[in-house]
Amino acid sequence: MSRLKRRTALALSMTAGLALVAAGCGGGDDESAGLPADQETVAGDGTGSPPAGGDGVRLGILGQCEGPFGGFHEDVVGGATLAMTQFAGATPGSSTTALDGFTGAEVAGTPIELVGIGCGDDTADRILQEVRRLVEQLGANVIIGPLSGDEGIAIAEYAKANPELTVLAGISGSQEQTLQVQAPNYFRFYGDGAIWNAGLGDLLHNQEGWDTVAVIADDYSFGHTSAAGFIADFCAVGGEVTSRVFPPLGTTDYSSYIAQLPNPDEVDGYFWAVGGTGTQASLEAFVNAKGDLTGDQHAGNLFFNPGLAQALGPDIAGAYVGGFATLPGDVQTPEIENYLAAADETWETIPGALSGNEPAPPSVAAAFGFFYGYYTAGVALVEALDAVGGDMSDLDAFHEAISGLTLDLPYGDISLDENRSGVVDVGLSRLVLDESGEVVQETVAIVPGVDQTFGGTFSPDTPSPGRDFPACEERDLPWEGNAIPVVDGVPQS
Amino acid sequence: MNLRERLTGETLALAGLVLILVLLPSLATAFFVNFVMTQTLILGLAAATIVFLAKYGGMTSLAQLLMFGIAGFMFGNAALDGGARGLNLGWHPWAAVGFAILVTTLAAFLLGAIASRTTGIYFLMLTLVYGVIGYFVFAQIVEISGPGGITSIQRPDLLGPPVRLYYAGLLLSVVVYAGFRTIRRTAFGLALQGVRDDPIRMASLGFNVPLHRTLAFTLAGFVAGLAGLLNVWWNGQIDPASISIGPTLILLIIAVIGGISSLEGAWLGAFVYVLVFTYLRDLPFVDRIGITEARFNTVIGVIVLAIMVLSPEGLTGIVQRLRGRLRRRAATEPTASTGGSLPVHTTTQKELGGTRS
Repeated sequence: MSRLKRRTALALSMTAGLALVAAGCGGGDDESAGLPADQETVAGDGTGSPPAGGDGVRLGILGQCEGPFGGFHEDVVGGATLAMTQFAGATPGSSTTALDGFTGAEVAGTPIELVGIGCGDDTADRILQEVRRLVEQLGANVIIGPLSGDEGIAIAEYAKANPELTVLAGISGSQEQTLQVQAPNYFRFYGDGAIWNAGLGDLLHNQEGWDTVAVIADDYSFGHTSAAGFIADFCAVGGEVTSRVFPPLGTTDYSSYIAQLPNPDEVDGYFWAVGGTGTQASLEAFVNAKGDLTGDQHAGNLFFNPGLAQALGPDIAGAYVGGFATLPGDVQTPEIENYLAAADETWETIPGALSGNEPAPPSVAAAFGFFYGYYTAGVALVEALDAVGGDMSDLDAFHEAISGLTLDLPYGDISLDENRSGVVDVGLSRLVLDESGEVVQETVAIVPGVDQTFGGTFSPDTPSPGRDFPACEERDLPWEGNAIPVVDGVPQS
Repeated sequence: MNLRERLTGETLALAGLVLILVLLPSLATAFFVNFVMTQTLILGLAAATIVFLAKYGGMTSLAQLLMFGIAGFMFGNAALDGGARGLNLGWHPWAAVGFAILVTTLAAFLLGAIASRTTGIYFLMLTLVYGVIGYFVFAQIVEISGPGGITSIQRPDLLGPPVRLYYAGLLLSVVVYAGFRTIRRTAFGLALQGVRDDPIRMASLGFNVPLHRTLAFTLAGFVAGLAGLLNVWWNGQIDPASISIGPTLILLIIAVIGGISSLEGAWLGAFVYVLVFTYLRDLPFVDRIGITEARFNTVIGVIVLAIMVLSPEGLTGIVQRLRGRLRRRAATEPTASTGGSLPVHTTTQKELGGTRS
């Protein structure tokens, strides 16, 4: 009997194996990626062979279904999909999840077909495998994504090596992917991690009176970039960074890193650029080691959100928060309302990260930067296609059209600089207590027209943001003193 | 051993397989060759070093991916010129290859020497520690690893087209496979197997046990370094996450899937791993039963579990068992059944002992 079972199991596993092989061969044959004849082309040009233009847009979306940002997979695919449903006449594949993609998208007579959704895990190796699968196996010629810092650099390099491809970055925030890599076919319609903290140092030094600050940031390109933006800003206006601590991404026990930070009576404040699952863990370690939180003494990048109060209590109120593509919910304009309503019309619910991956109104996800970054990329694709009359046969013209776009978007206009990176408005906010004692996020200022060079602090010739760069120096910043205050959700311009 | 003895069914089948692999670029899609098969050969090569150490030296090593990574990082540091990452030594690519292999082999020699007095679980733990320390060395000393990894790594011109990288992987795989099989019959290989089976007796016979283990580890490190070079040429970049604990375990899992006691199993395991990674999500309706790409690791885990239960010798164990069964059936058919089957493990374990040629 047991032998029979074993045989059945053997037979089953072999069948499964054969099915996989068949799927492998089938997948390759069905899609246009490469029949034996294509081998010559691949061998000849020394790179992969993304099919250029001709038969419309074959779109691949790079998300992250595993790793620290795995919860945002639904959000990012939703962002790109909303742009297609709103502006390209697409129909979503499901009313309760964005992961089923869309069909029927068309711009100026050119169809946009979603060929696949890549699943990253926050490592460069994995995202490269995913993009190669999308491009070389499924024949994608336009990519929207990726999501995270190191992935952005890897994909920008991949784009550089594959000039037939067009990449519209998703929400990956490392600085180098545009400033240093400079792939002519890689476009980013949002700010980088440094940009999102522009103006925060100015506000904390000149308004809150911080002179010294300790910085703790994830030890990878986004953490470095995010901290670099704050440090450049805070030091430019005369502040001093007394210590910098960089725990590795994915740390779960932060106590040894917290021990390296000065005590609360030794500095005026702390700046946190610890993301994903680490934000709460690091703050809890802080409470355990250094005593209760005093919100006024803390500032963080986009990962500071009202949700932290659930675990840390209302003491977190008073903390300042950097921007992240969108603005907090207290700012409502007709454009923003239309955008959120469009999301709610596209799906009944989607299980985005902000609702703990439980079904929630799509506008919850749409109001956050991950969704919005991919949305801006989708809008850019639609508008660029429109600008060239749907004709992608001349890729240079298509890329030029993308470079020249100024997108009129719900959270402010976005154009590109000479390195094809977004010039954006940054919304700074603060965690405050509302009437009912709940911690909410309130917009305090909008810093207009921030670009990634920080007035020359960062350039293609400077090192990448790292543990020691930038140094703490006073400089002139183009936006110092230009921040537009926001009172009760209304910009005072 | 004469030619006729060498021409067993097994060697013929392997030769046929190699022939198919040589012809593969004109049979299969570019993606299958340049992505699936190239990655299979690279991972197989690296996993084969785990199998080599386990099979002939009785050492299960978790440090092989570290060697793989050291070679990649060293090549990147030596070959790149004028970027923001790494040492940017700007050497000629082949000089960089020599440098990478030299550093990797030296590192393997040193680490092997330290580990050579341990066996079993202690050796496993020690090599795990190597892997973890290696990861943190590259993660923390950003001067040699980036910061954030070394990107834009170009292949030497000779290997420019992707299909040549495939052939390089194939050539190295064949050479390494044949080399490992040959070594077991050399004086060194026989002594190594003696060390595996009874180190105390070998020591009393005058063999230097730690030296044999060290040299085996060094050789494995050298081969893993070759695989690491192919990997950075294939991938174009390497970062500390490439050699973190996750991928380290994946390499061991590949060796286990194929069969940790069979050299061929390393490549078979790698093939299954890459196949599942690439194509599982393309199976129709597979997402309806909850197997999405996000569940990939779960699926691999279930496969490993199933293989451990069904056949501790991995996939090659299953193949050998089927072959043994067929052979027995052929042998017993003319005579009356001897009743009951021989314990299936006997055949396999004999092979593990290296007594079959």
